Amino acid sequence: MRRIRALLARIAGLRASRRAEREMAEELEAHLEMVVAENLRRGLSPAEARRQALLASGGLTQAAEAVRAQRGLPWVQNVGADLRYAVRALRHGPAFTAVVVLTLALGIGANTAIFSVVRAVLLKPLPNHDGDRLMYLRQSADGPARASLEFSVPEIHDLREGAPSLAGIAELSPWFATLQTNDGARRLDLGLVTGNYFDVMGLTPILGRLTGPEDDGLGAPPVAVLTRDAWVQYFGADSSLVGHQIRLDGRPVTVIGVVESAPLYPVRADAFLNMVFSAHHVSATMIQGRTHRMTEVVARLAPGAGLAEARAQVATVYARMLTAHPDAYDPAAHYRISVVPFQEALGERARLTLWLLMGAAAFALVITIASVANLTLMRGIRREHELVVRVALGAGTGRLRRLLLAENLLLALAGGAAGVLLAMAGLPLLTALAARYSPRAGEIRLDRVVLGFAFAVSAAVAVLHSFLTSLPTEGTVGSVSSGGRRVGVRLPARRLQRVLVVLQVAVSVMLLAGAGLLTRTLVRLADVDTGLSTEEILSIPLPLLDPTKLSPATDLANKSLYHTLQRELRTLPGVVDVGLGSTMPLRNSAIDFDLKAEGRPPAPGAAIPQADLRTASPEFFHAAGIPLLAGRVFGDGDGPGAERVVVVNRTLADQLFPGEDPLGHRIAFTGDVLRFTPFSGDWRTIVGVVGDTRDGGPDAPRRLVVFAPFDQEFAWLGGFVIRSEADAGRLVAPATKIVRRLAPTVPLENVLTVAEVKDQSVAPQRLNARLVSWFALLAALIAAVGIAGVLAFSVSVRTGEIGIRMTLGADRARVRRMILREGGGLLAIGLGLGTIGALAAGRIIRGLLFGVTPTDPVTLGGVALVMTAIGIAACWVPAARAARIDPAITLRS
Amino acid sequence: MGIPYDGPVPGEGAVGKHDVQQGTLALMILRTIEVLGPLHGYGIARRIEETSRHQLTLNYGTLYPALLKLEQEGAIKAEWGQSENNRRAKFYGLTAAGRRRLAREAQEWQRTTDLMAVFLAPWEEAR
Repeated sequence: MRRIRALLARIAGLRASRRAEREMAEELEAHLEMVVAENLRRGLSPAEARRQALLASGGLTQAAEAVRAQRGLPWVQNVGADLRYAVRALRHGPAFTAVVVLTLALGIGANTAIFSVVRAVLLKPLPNHDGDRLMYLRQSADGPARASLEFSVPEIHDLREGAPSLAGIAELSPWFATLQTNDGARRLDLGLVTGNYFDVMGLTPILGRLTGPEDDGLGAPPVAVLTRDAWVQYFGADSSLVGHQIRLDGRPVTVIGVVESAPLYPVRADAFLNMVFSAHHVSATMIQGRTHRMTEVVARLAPGAGLAEARAQVATVYARMLTAHPDAYDPAAHYRISVVPFQEALGERARLTLWLLMGAAAFALVITIASVANLTLMRGIRREHELVVRVALGAGTGRLRRLLLAENLLLALAGGAAGVLLAMAGLPLLTALAARYSPRAGEIRLDRVVLGFAFAVSAAVAVLHSFLTSLPTEGTVGSVSSGGRRVGVRLPARRLQRVLVVLQVAVSVMLLAGAGLLTRTLVRLADVDTGLSTEEILSIPLPLLDPTKLSPATDLANKSLYHTLQRELRTLPGVVDVGLGSTMPLRNSAIDFDLKAEGRPPAPGAAIPQADLRTASPEFFHAAGIPLLAGRVFGDGDGPGAERVVVVNRTLADQLFPGEDPLGHRIAFTGDVLRFTPFSGDWRTIVGVVGDTRDGGPDAPRRLVVFAPFDQEFAWLGGFVIRSEADAGRLVAPATKIVRRLAPTVPLENVLTVAEVKDQSVAPQRLNARLVSWFALLAALIAAVGIAGVLAFSVSVRTGEIGIRMTLGADRARVRRMILREGGGLLAIGLGLGTIGALAAGRIIRGLLFGVTPTDPVTLGGVALVMTAIGIAACWVPAARAARIDPAITLRS
Repeated sequence: MGIPYDGPVPGEGAVGKHDVQQGTLALMILRTIEVLGPLHGYGIARRIEETSRHQLTLNYGTLYPALLKLEQEGAIKAEWGQSENNRRAKFYGLTAAGRRRLAREAQEWQRTTDLMAVFLAPWEEAR
């Protein structure tokens, strides 16, 4: 109570009235007069009486100041004064202010931007209810196509039975359908889900309802839950849509609701439908086939259950499954299962790249802080005289520190604010980058946490820099009386400057090395031979298959349309050849099967090989630029009913028939999965071998490929490869027009030239390389400015010394060498440390490299050269200035 | 080096044979006013110096902020009046709250000093 009263009185005292001042002066004066009167009574002379009284008072001015301090809140009053002073001081040095604000803006901006991505993609809790209890189950096995195998319905059934610590296990089967709209058709990505899916995912509807147990089973009518994005994008956010029907693959489906925005994994979807939508999903093959794996599984930890417990239970069930069904799990392929927290699974692909960028940004921040620290130090040394005067005039050390803090806070906050603006500008680019790695890219925002991060970094920078400038202590007060310019600068400050420059160079070298490695990775990737003999190829994937109408009759009709289109496209001017096939060049196949070769049982313990199945018309290979290495391609004789023939790629030939001529040998697809498909396990004779192509990206592993004649197989997919005389991109418009005319209801997407496909496949690496290169360039520039600044400062404080040296006979070249040596030493140490750092850090980014080792001598050598060149250029300016010093002028001043 | 200056350093409290112990000055002031009735700053300082047998000397920079603090806390109340030699001076008198505070703090202080006396007394006496 007493405290509060006193505080209120002091707050009132902030508005120090003139009356209070007058009364205080009168009171102090009255006191003095009474002492004087007393002294007079004791017989002192009037002058002596007053002198004694003043001596005993302890100083009237100091007393008045002490009373004023008690009257108001001096701290509050001083903050205002400090800020006013800081603004004035900064305005006084506009160049310093501008450089510091800009440097900090770059450093803080980069960190803010990258942090916003890291937060959204990796750190932010999921929007799902109790998102941390949400789990993703992954089954995998050895082999390029089996990193994520999905699950079959019997497997999911076993898991439900045996893992009670998973409260709900929901199924999500990726599917697609064509949405008929008034103006054509659009392919929708679907998730076929069990009724408990949204419950397990912890999602709520923003409109209508979500699926429930009543939507499971054969008797339920097909219903759809739209994602928010699809609802807005394809249905114009029409809220009257709920309860109405849309047509998917020609079937009416009732829209029951719209689900809130949430990251979807492992597949994106526009809409979620109950299983009954797909006849296949409720068929016996699907329900009973243990190897019929086409369902993703999400689960929720039961209340009270832990992750370790769930993992143990799942492992036990899985081990039991492996023993009970040896035919479904090839032991050599090492089938395994893992329970991954959903959020972790979402961040898997982005993690390494994002931490790389965050690391690069943090390094850039270290450099900017070091650079600003150096500027602050130099300014502090130049201001020493001013600070000494302020101490002499009564400012306490604390007051001075506060003053510096106010200045630095202003600078850092201005830098931080500018940085946030920069981050805002960079956000679209970063969102595009993150979208390649994470379904959470849409959540990237400069929200409160990110802004708080930017503010915290700014404040930390300000505090750090405020304690860099050493304040004058009692000993230095004497230099006021000397009044002149100080010749020397305290050693610790100069040493710190040098350490900071070395740090800047070292960190720049590390960033440059990272940029160099990533850029070389990009070059290597772009240089990878695609295996195609030309890039003037346009690919038009065109899925005609309607999964609801699977019959030999529709297959024939589709094939006939494909052939008609092929003939029409062939007539376009400039077209060399038009091929027809299931899989476009450089794209991954959709289907692969276990493979066996006649008369060669696989070695015991060896994994059964898998091969992609693709179809191709006779013209396909020439049109796609896939070189024929041996034998022949398909001909008109390889039609339906003729002997089954195949063309294989080189990898298959090498792996199954090492050192032999594969032509004439017979191979066949095998495995349990085959019986769920329209493809036969009959023996097929190899009639040709073609070159490998880099499908799925230049760094993707090579795969075994079997081409079957287009007309001999079921046309589950199809599309055209158009080889052009020149400039394949020119064909997009006329070719699209033909397809639109003959197949108006078929969605037409990914009409791309091979060059575009190739370009797309290295886009993530290009963004990585570009971003890190920007950071590195920025760092090297700031480091160069740092070296130049420190040397220039060194020259300016050593002007007198240099003048004396020159008088004593040192010539200009010698002086220049002296300064260059000073800079060169710092540069060399920085280079050495940076190279060591780069070697250590290289190991971390190994996973992002292709075709170069983290210790690539060419890159590291190149980086050293670049940094040396930048460093010497930075040293040259101050060295030349030192050499221009006129001893006559220097010594006289 | 250094500017020759050996005057008092502002803010260092009382200068004299003894520094005024933190927190005791307020109690001394309150007690002085209680004994002598409303009094001006000079009177308070004189009385404290005399009572301490001149072991304490209060400079203005110590006394007046302390008075202001007590006033802000509501323990004393200031009024302008005439001094003995007919000067206008500010007289400080105890308020009811000040009286209560004095009684409480004096008692606490007494207890503390008694306790410390027992502890610091020569060994035989303590027994």
